[in-house]
Amino acid sequence: MLTYIVLGLFAGACYALASLGIVLTYRTTGFFNFAYGGEAMFLAFVFWQLRDRWGISQWLSIPLLLLVIAPILGLILEAVFRTMASRTADVQIVVALGTLAFFTSFVPIVFGSQQHQLESVFSPTWSFKIGDTFITATQLGTVVVALVAGAMLWALLRFTQFGTATRAVVDNRDLTGLIGINATRVGQGAWIIATMFAAVAGVMLSISNNLVIYVVPFLVIYCFAAAVLGRLTSLPLAFIGAFALGVIDNVLQKYGSHGFLAKLEASTPYLALFILLVAYGKRLVEVRSSLRTVTGAHVIGSNTARNVAAGLGAAVVGAIVLPPVFSDPTVLNLAQAMAYAVVALTVVVLTGWTGQISIAQMSFAGIGAFTAAHIAGTHGGMFPVAVLVGILIAVPVSLLIGIPSLRLSGLFLALATFAFALVMDKLVFGSDSISGGITGLNLTAAKLGPLDFESANSQFYLCGTVLVVAALGAVWLRQGPIGRRLQMVRDAPDAAATLGASLTLTKLAVFAGCAALASVGGALLAVTQSTVVPVNFDSSTSLALLLAVVLGGRSLIVGAVFAGGVQLMQLLPLGTNVHKYLPLGIALSVIMVAREPDGLPRVGLQQLQYCKAVLYRRNLVDRLRLSSTSGRATVGSNG
Amino acid sequence: MAEPLLDAAAITIRFGGLVALNEVDLQVAASGITGLIGPNGAGKTTLFNVITGLLEPSSGTVRYDGQDINRWSPPRRGRAGIARTFQRLDLFVGMSVRDNLRAAYEANVPGGVLGRRSREGVELVDALIERLDMKDIADRRAGTLSTGLGRMVELGRALSTRPRLLLLDEPSSGLDVGETEHFRDLLLEITRSEFLGRPAPAVLLVEHDVQLVMEVCQQITVLEFGQRIAHGTPQAVRSDPAVVAAYLGESAA
Repeated sequence: MLTYIVLGLFAGACYALASLGIVLTYRTTGFFNFAYGGEAMFLAFVFWQLRDRWGISQWLSIPLLLLVIAPILGLILEAVFRTMASRTADVQIVVALGTLAFFTSFVPIVFGSQQHQLESVFSPTWSFKIGDTFITATQLGTVVVALVAGAMLWALLRFTQFGTATRAVVDNRDLTGLIGINATRVGQGAWIIATMFAAVAGVMLSISNNLVIYVVPFLVIYCFAAAVLGRLTSLPLAFIGAFALGVIDNVLQKYGSHGFLAKLEASTPYLALFILLVAYGKRLVEVRSSLRTVTGAHVIGSNTARNVAAGLGAAVVGAIVLPPVFSDPTVLNLAQAMAYAVVALTVVVLTGWTGQISIAQMSFAGIGAFTAAHIAGTHGGMFPVAVLVGILIAVPVSLLIGIPSLRLSGLFLALATFAFALVMDKLVFGSDSISGGITGLNLTAAKLGPLDFESANSQFYLCGTVLVVAALGAVWLRQGPIGRRLQMVRDAPDAAATLGASLTLTKLAVFAGCAALASVGGALLAVTQSTVVPVNFDSSTSLALLLAVVLGGRSLIVGAVFAGGVQLMQLLPLGTNVHKYLPLGIALSVIMVAREPDGLPRVGLQQLQYCKAVLYRRNLVDRLRLSSTSGRATVGSNG
Repeated sequence: MAEPLLDAAAITIRFGGLVALNEVDLQVAASGITGLIGPNGAGKTTLFNVITGLLEPSSGTVRYDGQDINRWSPPRRGRAGIARTFQRLDLFVGMSVRDNLRAAYEANVPGGVLGRRSREGVELVDALIERLDMKDIADRRAGTLSTGLGRMVELGRALSTRPRLLLLDEPSSGLDVGETEHFRDLLLEITRSEFLGRPAPAVLLVEHDVQLVMEVCQQITVLEFGQRIAHGTPQAVRSDPAVVAAYLGESAA
């Protein structure tokens, strides 16, 4: 028992440091740093590069990491996030997730994708014994470092001018300027400290495993849970909570080395996070500047009749032309991309139209996929029945997540869905009886009455039809009362509520509807992939999907098609470099266009307008003003 | 006074150490216009937020139509017939003016979001647009309107729920003299006896334009620093020494 507690304290120390970093930046800048684990991983790799690859002495590389590299990284991140300070919460979350994706795609490119040994910074041989338990220098050292760092932070906030200024900023961000406190400086200070903590946590987590690891970004979910325990604002609670989580986690390991308990143990942080969200309920309030955020008068989803007609035309032409022209594997890839676009459509509706961030859409797709594989594959049932059962499972599950978190603000839905996606990865998709383990399940010929979907062409038409119907349905709903409801809840939630619109019910209905559609998309993916494997439905694919849709325009149907296109690029044999740099490119572009709901198409149109204006020597100023106030591209008119 | 439509009793609101409202009483009669005046920061909008459920009072009860509605959510109050405008315009900026009104109607009618009774809604919205002289701007996006026009849309949006109690938060601020006169006529018309085939709503009016308030209101409540310092008919309030000292003294001089 003692062994496990010691191990738990050791792990908890790492989480405690990271939790302090997350809470500190959230408190002072109102920005919840989803990318924290990415930073920690990156800095751990930097340390490995300095010490082990370049052979710089440990006593030089540690100060270099902590006092030079981490602060610079902190300042860069602070600068990026500060430009988003006045944006709505969904934009901020998207930018944070884009940054996370940046780190997870950047690190393998720079440091290689194989794992590296990372030896402890403490003496590898020294250890002592309490009872029957050996305690190594690394374990003791990590706990001591965490306690010292925690105490230093406490002293800094308690006794210095920076601490006073921080408390002033936390109390009232808008007024601090009036009494001569520079809130920006305070924010920079918080980011520097948080990034230094990220470096320490990253290195400690890595040496505890003896290697620099790629799972760090997801290990920090422990810290999210601890941070939520402190209601995202209490440093001491987060600190203690992280230690407690580490201990609980390791004690569970003692009892559950295999079977369900082992899986439960692997999901403690996510379950803890979820339970905390439920337990705290409305007492969780977001730290926000009282300055009114820029919502913009954007008309969500400008799906004019012309655009819809053009889209339909393209679909018909594609249906006639593509299957005969391309070989079967390519047609299959196209089908799969379209199935993916169906799931992406749910991101458009959720994120683009109602401003909610879900990092679990592929998990819902997974529910549909594995249900389809079981019913239509293993048991040879009818495909529509399988789809229906998938929906019937996905909807109650979505309500289970949505009811506790949708009463709260957007950040907490993002956290809850993130936790849910990770629970699904571990508990559900990781279970052999449900997902067939890493080899997956087979679904080669889904049946629909006398028809089956074995040939590439039949799958192409199946996915194409569903995509077109779903897209048209979404556009149609958007024009009617439901569309008005979504827009009103987004534009002016208070006014909408006083007029009689229940915000929670509206958001919940949308969330459940999107879960249903995502599970349909998942069933289609199962058909096109024929072997359904868990890795295609894990949390990181949900994240990639979200980012692809944001880039393609999260308020446009085209955004979903774009995400399908991104998926197609990953399926096609385009050379390793494309596959290596594509995620990095997407992550960086997302950070840049996150504030633009119409994504790349919008940015592209603006550039085009600009070029046209220059070319035609029209009144440039007028043109630009027109484009920024009309809210709709005016290319083509008056040309 | 007969049984009031709205009866807020001993409402107290504390923000940390600050007492924004201290044991404030307010009654609104079932018909006519009740005025709520007081200097900036007196707590008028805070009281609106309590009545519409956006703020939970630290203590005190709000009764509406004889029922204790303290624990009702804002949408439930909205559906029970309480509608309001916002001093700081809170329009659905991405929608046309017509859609602002339709969305409000659909939010208020049970099943409206699924298209129930939509024909009735179209007719009501058309009638309101006609009545409020908004034909020219009906298809413009609300986010592009001037403050004056925006206030009209706020009013139209609240009216399209066919409220029994209409709360107007400084509807004439930002309007010029002509617009204010127009608004006053409109206000009297809305509250006369019947409006668009329904019994006229009772109005609670928060207003800085004291002249306007004295002209149109039957009852007036005066707040200062979160306290009710006077209430009664315009004549009574006008001559109340506390009011003269606190508020009217400056503007009436």
